Amino acid sequence: MSGQKKKNFQIEAFKHRVMVDPKYAEKTWKILEHAIQEIYNHNASGLSFEELYRNAYNMVLHKFGEKLYSGLVTTMTSHLSDISKSIEAAQGELFLEELNRKWLDHNKALQMIRDILMYMDRTFIPSTQKTPVHELGLNLWRDVVIHSSKTQIRLQDTLLELVHRERNGEVINRGLMRSIIKMLMDLGSSVYQDDFEQHFLEVSANFYGLESQQYIESCDCGDYLKKAERRLNEEMERVSHYLDARSLEKITNVVEKEMIENHMHRLVHMENSGLVNMLVNDKYDDLGRKYNLFRRVANGGLLIVRDVMTSYIRDTGKQLVTDPERLKDPVDFVQRLLDLKDKYDKIISLAFNNDKTFQNALNSSFEYFINLNARSPEFISLFVDDKLRKGLKGVSEEDVEVVLDKVMMLFRYLQEKDVFEKYYKQHLAKRLLAGKTVSDDAERSLIVKLKTECGYQFTSKLEGMFTDMKTSQDTMQGFHESLGAELGDSPSLTVQVLTTGSWPTQPSATCNLPAEILGVCEKFRSYYLGTHTGRRLSWQTNMGTADLKAIFGKGQKHELNVSTYQMCVLMLFNNAGRLSYKEIEQATEIPASDLKRCLQSLACARVKSVLRKEPIGRDIAEDDAFSVNDKFSSKLYKVRISTVAAQRESEPENQETRQRVEEDRKPQIEAAIVRIMKSRRVLDHNNIVAEVIKQLQSRFLPNPVVIKKRIESLIEREFLERDKNDRKLYRYLA
Amino acid sequence: MKKEDMVKLISAEGFEFVIDKDAAMVSQTIYNMLTSPGSFAETQHGEVTFPEISTTILEKICKYFYWHLQFASGKETEFPIEPELTLELMMAANYLHT
Repeated sequence: MSGQKKKNFQIEAFKHRVMVDPKYAEKTWKILEHAIQEIYNHNASGLSFEELYRNAYNMVLHKFGEKLYSGLVTTMTSHLSDISKSIEAAQGELFLEELNRKWLDHNKALQMIRDILMYMDRTFIPSTQKTPVHELGLNLWRDVVIHSSKTQIRLQDTLLELVHRERNGEVINRGLMRSIIKMLMDLGSSVYQDDFEQHFLEVSANFYGLESQQYIESCDCGDYLKKAERRLNEEMERVSHYLDARSLEKITNVVEKEMIENHMHRLVHMENSGLVNMLVNDKYDDLGRKYNLFRRVANGGLLIVRDVMTSYIRDTGKQLVTDPERLKDPVDFVQRLLDLKDKYDKIISLAFNNDKTFQNALNSSFEYFINLNARSPEFISLFVDDKLRKGLKGVSEEDVEVVLDKVMMLFRYLQEKDVFEKYYKQHLAKRLLAGKTVSDDAERSLIVKLKTECGYQFTSKLEGMFTDMKTSQDTMQGFHESLGAELGDSPSLTVQVLTTGSWPTQPSATCNLPAEILGVCEKFRSYYLGTHTGRRLSWQTNMGTADLKAIFGKGQKHELNVSTYQMCVLMLFNNAGRLSYKEIEQATEIPASDLKRCLQSLACARVKSVLRKEPIGRDIAEDDAFSVNDKFSSKLYKVRISTVAAQRESEPENQETRQRVEEDRKPQIEAAIVRIMKSRRVLDHNNIVAEVIKQLQSRFLPNPVVIKKRIESLIEREFLERDKNDRKLYRYLA
Repeated sequence: MKKEDMVKLISAEGFEFVIDKDAAMVSQTIYNMLTSPGSFAETQHGEVTFPEISTTILEKICKYFYWHLQFASGKETEFPIEPELTLELMMAANYLHT
């Protein structure tokens, strides 16, 4: 047989058959219809795919596509209405299962039908713009089965009921749930949204609205948050198990809104368990939970937490710095500040995820309340003093650094850094002169820290003090070398030469030194002035210490470590058994307040006083009399007699320091004004003030009134002039 | 070679061509026949009858299947078609969606 022949035969045969058999289409369709029914009845095994495909192919080829398509729609619709009825008939629990089974059946059948009718899908449908077979099947399923009047509501209710039961702790068939939800999603996202999601969200909102109301009435904040967190996790889990991933955000939003946002204020301010309570009791877990939950609330959830925390810190801080009790012990005061800072640092790092905004809030709170107390700079300096005197003994270098770093942190909060400098200088001077510094390294490390914080200027004088100490050592060495022989057995003398200006100058109230000392002092003076010409030496008898060897009544020997003033007083008793206050005052010429303090420490100490006072009492009066206490005893050979230290400044002293600080500020402000005006030439008042404040911020916060006075003073001295037309403008006069 | 990997194609005249499934599935139609979820007769027996395709054409088609696999794997050769077969071959191709 030849190809030619066959081709002719076939083509003619096709045409022929179409022409000849008008019932061809009808017959072919019957075959296909039957097949579709068989497919729905799970009887496909007897069918020949090729035959069905060929029939469908030929129908389309011979322009019966329309008939095939409409026939398909009709057959499928009638099948689906049967299915729909059987689903509707399913009772209770079985409803979903029946629906699911039928859905799986339909899906499989639909795929088979689509395969058979592939040729129609390929050619007829695109050219006539009809719905492809598969989509058609889904649409029909949606319209006929899901949206049948009975099923639609029932399906919705059943699904929501299941979710509700799961929320109440029952175990439901999640697999079934998932495949039903997947069916809805397969039918198009709009079906899922309209038939399920929308109602689901509404019901959830109601549910959580009610539940949160219940919880908030009955639980404290911590428990409530735990419950809210659990609910939130449950919902997320639910979405991942059987809902569309796109619902995640929607449902979590609902939970957030109902459980957190609506009760935000109440949760934060809840009595006995709100935010403040959590802060007080360091409830890191609860705080962390609160942070994480509130962070989810878009508009200002954290803002509330932060504001409440800030105002609480400010309150406690304010209480702390203004509590008169606390002012009595500066070291404790600063320690408490540090503890407070540590506490909140820890909270922020553990619970608040190291949130920058929280850290800033904490810093600004500290800045706020530390500066409420004008004595904070003094206290911080005292704290450092305490630490450097004794607190750091036996502590490793790293720990020292930690303490110093913490102090620096507080220092940063200070607005009046120059006041701190004043006090620090005083305290450092005392430490250096009394030889009380425990660690030179620690001292220097703190100076370096101050330098990096505030610049060279700030610490240059402090560094000068250290240099003085060093040169003094060298001088003393030279002194002893050149005059060692001459000195003989006169008391040994150590002199520290201090540069005026670097050290906190105190009005040098000279006193009469005992003759023995005076001799050595003169020798040193002539030695020193001999090596350094053009200098002036003056004795600072209010500083310095002395070691005395004393023998008491029963022959017990002791070495007494006393201050210069005390030494002067005690030396008097070498020649007299009993002296009145007046006599001592006359002989020594020590200023009254210092003398009283020094006598107090000698005579009024609780256990071991070197002198005996008549009458016995705590305070020194003008007409008291003193004699050596023969019964003095001590376990130690060396006895240190500390001056009754006015460690903290008394009120008038404080005033004085303040005044000195104010005085020191004036030239600084003037210098700043001149610097600014030199570069700007012309500037108005407000801008000058602003710039001055900006320039001096690192040292202190200048008062605008003071600045104005300085400007006026500069105008008087013709550094500046007012503009002739605009009185608010200043000109720089070079 | 395993029987499951082969498929039997039968022409209008009853000639049987036993070829690899992979090759046969170059045709989208045959692919659907063999993979459709319901168990059609073709899937069960592993054979397909084409009452409208002659032996000559089916033979050519089977050659084409193998050629196509080769071509797809990068071996570019000519596939010769005798002019007298062209029309029928095209009709068959349309039918088989190849």
